Amino acid sequence: MNLPAKMDVEKDTLRQMHCEFNPLSRCDGSVMYSQGATGLIGAVLGPIEVKTQNLSIDGSYLECNYRPKAGLPQVIDRIREAAIRDVLELALLSEAHPRSKMSVQIQELEDRGSIDACAVNCACLAMLIGGLPLKYSFAAVHAIINEQGEYVLDPDQSETQHQRASFTFAFDSVEGNLLLVRTKGSFKIAQFNDIECLCRAASAEIFQFYRSQVAKYHGRSEATAKNET
Amino acid sequence: MFMNSNLFEPGKSKPERSFVQLAVKQNQRLDGRRSNESRDVELTFGSDWGSVVVSMGDTQVMAQVTCEMGPPALSRPNEGKIHLNVLLGGVAFLDEAYNTHDQRSLKLNSLLERTFRSSRSIDLESLCVAAEKHVWCIRVNVNVINHDGNLYDASSIATLAALMHFRRPDVTYKDGELRIFKQNEREFMPLLFHHYPVSVTYCVYKSSGQPILDPTLLEENAADSVIVLSFNSYQELCSLTAGGTTPTNAPTVMQCARNAAARCKSLLDFVRKALALDEERRSQGDRSVDGLVGLILNTEHKLSYNKLMGIQKQRQQQPPPSENIELDNESSETPVANEEPSNEEGAGAPMDTSDWLPHDEDSQELPMRSEASPSKAGKYKTNKKTRPRKQNHSDSEEEARQFI
Repeated sequence: MNLPAKMDVEKDTLRQMHCEFNPLSRCDGSVMYSQGATGLIGAVLGPIEVKTQNLSIDGSYLECNYRPKAGLPQVIDRIREAAIRDVLELALLSEAHPRSKMSVQIQELEDRGSIDACAVNCACLAMLIGGLPLKYSFAAVHAIINEQGEYVLDPDQSETQHQRASFTFAFDSVEGNLLLVRTKGSFKIAQFNDIECLCRAASAEIFQFYRSQVAKYHGRSEATAKNET
Repeated sequence: MFMNSNLFEPGKSKPERSFVQLAVKQNQRLDGRRSNESRDVELTFGSDWGSVVVSMGDTQVMAQVTCEMGPPALSRPNEGKIHLNVLLGGVAFLDEAYNTHDQRSLKLNSLLERTFRSSRSIDLESLCVAAEKHVWCIRVNVNVINHDGNLYDASSIATLAALMHFRRPDVTYKDGELRIFKQNEREFMPLLFHHYPVSVTYCVYKSSGQPILDPTLLEENAADSVIVLSFNSYQELCSLTAGGTTPTNAPTVMQCARNAAARCKSLLDFVRKALALDEERRSQGDRSVDGLVGLILNTEHKLSYNKLMGIQKQRQQQPPPSENIELDNESSETPVANEEPSNEEGAGAPMDTSDWLPHDEDSQELPMRSEASPSKAGKYKTNKKTRPRKQNHSDSEEEARQFI
């Protein structure tokens, strides 16, 4: 794999985020989202017709698919898909559209670290711009404990080479509850708590990014958006 | 928000179809293009080797090439393997039919297979490391991101660009031991090609005999027949897919072939130029490589066909001489270029559809009927009367031969 050279970035800030809304023509909402060098496309379509086996009178059926860039989805991609799906199911207000289906599709463009968190953020932006009814918006943050024992927030792929532990947290925007916790590696519980606080603080930045981007898309200034929320 | 999104592809309803048929009859297209004008092609290369996104208007397609070492096929022990796969559905929301054997997906896959595998464009023998034991298996995955017509062209350009962009690791096989070198040990190597094929798509309608190039989704769904031609840089035909519900006469197909050959050649030049530019950017250092994230960032370094080939809005005259350097059959370039402006002038008069096949009917007739050509040529502008007869033979042999 063609890994870029080690970049000199700060350890406690998120990478630069960019997004472009509605690049696709056939869906209700889509977004091309990038965090640093990791990029994804997310698209939503809904409410649309659902197969009888998935039909529910209580709420809409959520179809969520994550597609890697190369080849058929492997186990790791299915795990990622399940994690994204869990978060979406919590956030989606399915009672608003019973007997229908909401389809969320995520396509990986480039994976340069923190792809789980980026995929969740991409899905949230896609749902926001696609107008799906949500109870709250959500943001995910990825952090690692590197070889030296330091906490690195939103690492690039080159920085995750010899990590000791990796954490992905997803938070909601209304009460700050934890929606998703995924860990890998060995760590102490005190470290876990520290990193959780670090990620929670970083998620505020992501929510602010959502607000400013959606406000810009609808032609309103950030200040007006802040006053209205 | 529609409940039945399956039915709402543009061009599938009766009013839309009759509208498009009428428009084509009047030589008009919804986006203002002429019948032989295509959309701009944009290439964005990724940070990984062998990764590219191709955009033709709203149609977007992403291709990724990966490789791995494996045992060869039993029937061909000294050749590598290549797998091509086009995936519809996903972000493009095209799998409405939920069929395993969706027509569109099958057609796309079959077209790519024929264009790249059956025409033997990749040198598979160079992918063999140890006969009967270890060969490279190349996988090309094409993901359709958005479908706005002409997926055939977009996927073939994406596949070709990705394969040309791809680098595989260097490997040695000594005394039964296989050693694959990492990138920091030995540079990765490009794939070897026999030839480079690209495809061009035309749509034919019952209402008019004039095919249109590079259809949008509306035009493609309302079409009666679709002709897909692939040519390579030597102007050899690599694959031909023609079919549908409206019969098309042979001179029309031959004219399409001629134009397609010229367009394929210039597309290949464009891909080569774009690859060279990408190579340059990579050598400048990792910071300047945005990869596919560059799609969002909208930098000025867009590798677009119109920009790189320097084509003006008011159509080209002769292609610039620098592009003729790579020519293998130089005499074929000039008559093709001569035909291009004559096609433009023919298409410029909207109500006179017979202009579209001006002199080709003459050139394909038997020699004794050449007296008829001055009278026909009198209809058009004066500078086309003197057409040298030798242009017949400078194209590839198939086109000059009588086919009845």
